[in-house]
Amino acid sequence: MRTEHLALSARGVKMQYRDRGTGNVLLAIDNIDLDVPDGAFVSLLGPSGCGKSTFLKIVNGLLPATAGEIKLHRVAKGREDAMVFQDAALFPWYSVLDNVAYGLVCAGVPRGEARKRAAPFIDLVGLKGFDEKYPYQLSGGMQQRANLARALAVDSAILLMDEPFAALDAQTREVMQAELLRIWNAAKKTVLFVTHQIDEAVYLSDRVVVMAARPGRVIADIQIDLRRPRDLSVKRTPEFAVYEEQIWRLIAGQYGKTPQPDAAS
Amino acid sequence: MTETAAFRVIHARVRKRRNPVSRWYRRNERAVLSAAGIVSFVAAWQIGADAGLIDKFFFSSPTDILAAGVAEVQKPRFWEDVKISAIELGLGTLIALVTSVPIGIAIGWYRRVSLTFDPWLNFFNALPRVALIPLVVLWAGLGVEMKTIIVFFGGFFSIVLPTVEGVRTVDRQFLDVARSFRAPQRLIFTSLVIPGTLPFIVSGLRLAVGRVLAGVIIAEFYAQTSGLGVMIARSASTLQPDRMLFGVLIFTILGIGLTEGIGIAERYFQRWRPSIDLEEAA
Amino acid sequence: MIAVRSAPVQLIARLRAGNERVFYGVAGFVGLIVFWEVAANTGIFRKSLVSAPSSVWKAALTDFGNGSIWPHIAASTGEFAVGFLVSLAIGIPLGLAIGWFRRVDYFFNGLLAGFNATPNVALIPLIILMAGIGFESKVIVVFLSAFFAVVVTTFTGVQSIARRHLEITRSFGGSRWLAFRTVALPSTIPYILSGIRIGAGRALVGVVSAEFISANQGLGFYIGFFGVFLDTARVMLGIVLFGIFGVVLGELIRVVEHRYDVWRPELHR
Repeated sequence: MRTEHLALSARGVKMQYRDRGTGNVLLAIDNIDLDVPDGAFVSLLGPSGCGKSTFLKIVNGLLPATAGEIKLHRVAKGREDAMVFQDAALFPWYSVLDNVAYGLVCAGVPRGEARKRAAPFIDLVGLKGFDEKYPYQLSGGMQQRANLARALAVDSAILLMDEPFAALDAQTREVMQAELLRIWNAAKKTVLFVTHQIDEAVYLSDRVVVMAARPGRVIADIQIDLRRPRDLSVKRTPEFAVYEEQIWRLIAGQYGKTPQPDAAS
Repeated sequence: MTETAAFRVIHARVRKRRNPVSRWYRRNERAVLSAAGIVSFVAAWQIGADAGLIDKFFFSSPTDILAAGVAEVQKPRFWEDVKISAIELGLGTLIALVTSVPIGIAIGWYRRVSLTFDPWLNFFNALPRVALIPLVVLWAGLGVEMKTIIVFFGGFFSIVLPTVEGVRTVDRQFLDVARSFRAPQRLIFTSLVIPGTLPFIVSGLRLAVGRVLAGVIIAEFYAQTSGLGVMIARSASTLQPDRMLFGVLIFTILGIGLTEGIGIAERYFQRWRPSIDLEEAA
Repeated sequence: MIAVRSAPVQLIARLRAGNERVFYGVAGFVGLIVFWEVAANTGIFRKSLVSAPSSVWKAALTDFGNGSIWPHIAASTGEFAVGFLVSLAIGIPLGLAIGWFRRVDYFFNGLLAGFNATPNVALIPLIILMAGIGFESKVIVVFLSAFFAVVVTTFTGVQSIARRHLEITRSFGGSRWLAFRTVALPSTIPYILSGIRIGAGRALVGVVSAEFISANQGLGFYIGFFGVFLDTARVMLGIVLFGIFGVVLGELIRVVEHRYDVWRPELHR
């Protein structure tokens, strides 16, 4: 699924802000370079405060970078990127279908057509039949599926996911991870996935970009060479454990700097 | 790697160099604009009155009101009225405070009691005190006592209701923690219930400010003996809108002052609440 | 031996389990009525001062029977309705503008604080002077009474919108206007309904106060008039009618409010 095209290319991205409480200038992100090829699944992994969510928001346009630039592969119509949020992400006053269609409405698509285009994505994420239900009638996992459907419906080149499963319980989370891979295979998107759970990153991704905090920066870029398609049982294989261990040591700071992997550009 | 597809580029945001004036403005925008609002209102009023668009007969004008005020404060009668109104206000509010908080906490603590009294408290809270005035006059005559009672009612019910609600909504989790440590009732009370109820009491105080001030005025309108409210009524009936509005202004300033005072007390008592001022981090 | 609870006890138990709030509320109400009647008749309270439920009831039968009370109720209702609806028509849009546009908020901030702090009652004599003792002056008082509550609750509602929801619109590239229509308005509706409820309460107080001070019909006038004549029963009747009206209106609005509770932003942070 790899092409020579890059869906996203970031160079020298820096972000600093002023802490209103103390007045200090803090560096959230210090000099990130990142390339994400078309169709790849890349995770940003790191502890709280490492800037992974901030970086995602900069790509999405919700926050401004202080330096550097990001290139997004332009698509013919609509937005290049679509975000899947972690929580409180569906409007309680809209039905599931209207929620899923919302991304299209924001892009200027008339409501009727947006609903039509959004409908198949509800089936894709496994919520068939729930079109006219309201969010309060859905469980946490189902709400996140709807959240995902909304981002998919926009038909962007790249899907940005900000710890989408963090608010779910462990079992639902595992199910959703497997579901996400299934959907990703079907929709053939590029995904930039933010998480702080090592097993989640290793299971889902082609590449895990490991970050550290204070200031936020990339400390490793690890290729995950587990065969696809992956089902949940791969989490119990020895190869999986090796990757987990490797990453855990990086984060826990047991080993010093790892040898730099080849830059993907 | 040749690219046939185009790219959208997201640039960093360049921090524009701002001159000190605009920086000062940004930091104080709220104060500046709100002052501008008040100034515009007063200016529009004055201009309208002078131009004849606004009938001075009824609305007076800011300069006239100021002049009337200056004249008024030089009369001894004025200060007598102020004294009487102050007594009614102070006494009524004080008694209301002293009684409403303990009673409110007591009612709120026992669920069944609070459910029983809830409708009555709501009823008396919503009742316009004008309706009660004839009765209170029958009980207490037309003097300072009657007016103090009216002020008291306004303050009492404004504070009791939120206090009851505050006691009833003490966070379940905190109560569970206290009980699992076998905390004695008294400790639960002083360490959980009272701090937790304080914000509610404060919101009751804010409501009470408006109520007690209105109480002074309504009661004095009816009694027609002495006090600032009487001054306002008499000025109105003798077609002196400038004097009357000066009287109203006094109450307005008093109201704002009391509300600010409550705000300060609130910030003092709520120091333990975290301020939510940080920008988002990663 | 199976113990069988007697029918009345069972009925009470079931009523109590059904809705505690209503049960105790009604119990409290009934209790007070009984206490009042007994106290008035046995001299604990002087009948001339507080009347008694029986006398109030008699007065009600008389005045409703011969229709003398209806013009007063109609007058109060009319003044209330017009003044209140106008306050909604102006107050809600203004509240929305203040909540949505930061600069508008700052501009009106001082003015609102000032007007809020002014006791409306103090302005009543002036208003009556301007507009007479009839319909118009009461409408103005009702408007002023309800207006600020409506504006304040509305803009508080707009300012309480969950930031995440607004972020979503921005994330997908929607315009500010779209965000206003699709996020701000629905989010604020529960608050607007609260404002309507609170404003209605203030409006009721306003209409009765204004009528009391100077009018020739209406419930407030009714209370004042019979107060002068020491007809405590009718004074109480006026108060009770006012109370009923207020409670019924309040509960009706509350029902509508509850249906939109799910839309409240603080539940979705």
